[in-house]
Amino acid sequence: MKRDKHIPLTETVYYILLSLFEPAHGYLILQKVEELSNGQVRMAAGTLYGAIENLLKLKFIQPVESGDSRRKVYMITELGKDMLRLDLERMQHMIGITEDAFKRGGIS
Amino acid sequence: MRKFKLFLDFEKEARWLNKMASEGYELVGRSFGYRFRKSKPDHANIKIDYRLFKKQADFVDYCTLFEDSGWEHLAGTKSSGAQYFKQVNKDADEDIFSDIDSKASRYKRLSQMYISLAMCYLPIFAALVTTNAINIDAFFNPKQLYFTPGLWDKTGADFWGAFLFETPFAFFRGFAWLAFPVMIALCLIFSYKAEQRYQKIKKK
Repeated sequence: MKRDKHIPLTETVYYILLSLFEPAHGYLILQKVEELSNGQVRMAAGTLYGAIENLLKLKFIQPVESGDSRRKVYMITELGKDMLRLDLERMQHMIGITEDAFKRGGIS
Repeated sequence: MRKFKLFLDFEKEARWLNKMASEGYELVGRSFGYRFRKSKPDHANIKIDYRLFKKQADFVDYCTLFEDSGWEHLAGTKSSGAQYFKQVNKDADEDIFSDIDSKASRYKRLSQMYISLAMCYLPIFAALVTTNAINIDAFFNPKQLYFTPGLWDKTGADFWGAFLFETPFAFFRGFAWLAFPVMIALCLIFSYKAEQRYQKIKKK
């Protein structure tokens, strides 16, 4: 099976998509990414802005209506969810074979 | 106070602005040169992004994201390209970029802007060439650019007065078109330099 060219997702893209299951504006995404990654991934404003622009272009996320006139609010699209699922399966496979390898290594 | 300077390196530009701030000159505008306001010396951390916006709402959203993150928008407009930010929250990150790619890609956007600027001048220049508006002969025989009747028969102060008076007009008549190829060349050089810097940062 030919793999989608966007897989694997980068760590930041993965967390941004994950944080957009519920609508959020830019700064809220920054906070959510930091929280979801246990403080491991801290994105700066300029980097996030570029990432959002790119994800909009790829149609992985979309703008949604909000009451806030100064902040745009985004949400993940079905395509974005598909991408997350594909990357999850990739990682599950890796986790599975790695655990097996460690188990076999542990017995011998 | 106004200062005129040209930078192709955002890091150098930011260092210069930080130095100005430490001497008590706060950046307030960047439309025609750099505009500063006298204020108290400040250990500022200024960072520069390069972005053009199609809609005002996009620009507002962009500035708001930076403000939320602890960066004050000092200068720059929807279509100015360069955007200047000053760190106002000590807890904020030290930089407006957290990875090399996004740090580099502002040079990519700068390079593209210079290319499109060059492309704007190109048709004007082409039109001048094709309509024979350019008189190459004037390089070898600049006398023909002077229209004052009997100028070359005058002598002494009379001659110099008339000659110097007409020289700026003659120069403009003969060589104003040069501004276009010069601008095109400069834009292409700047574009190339920005592209080089982009490649260099990406390789780091």
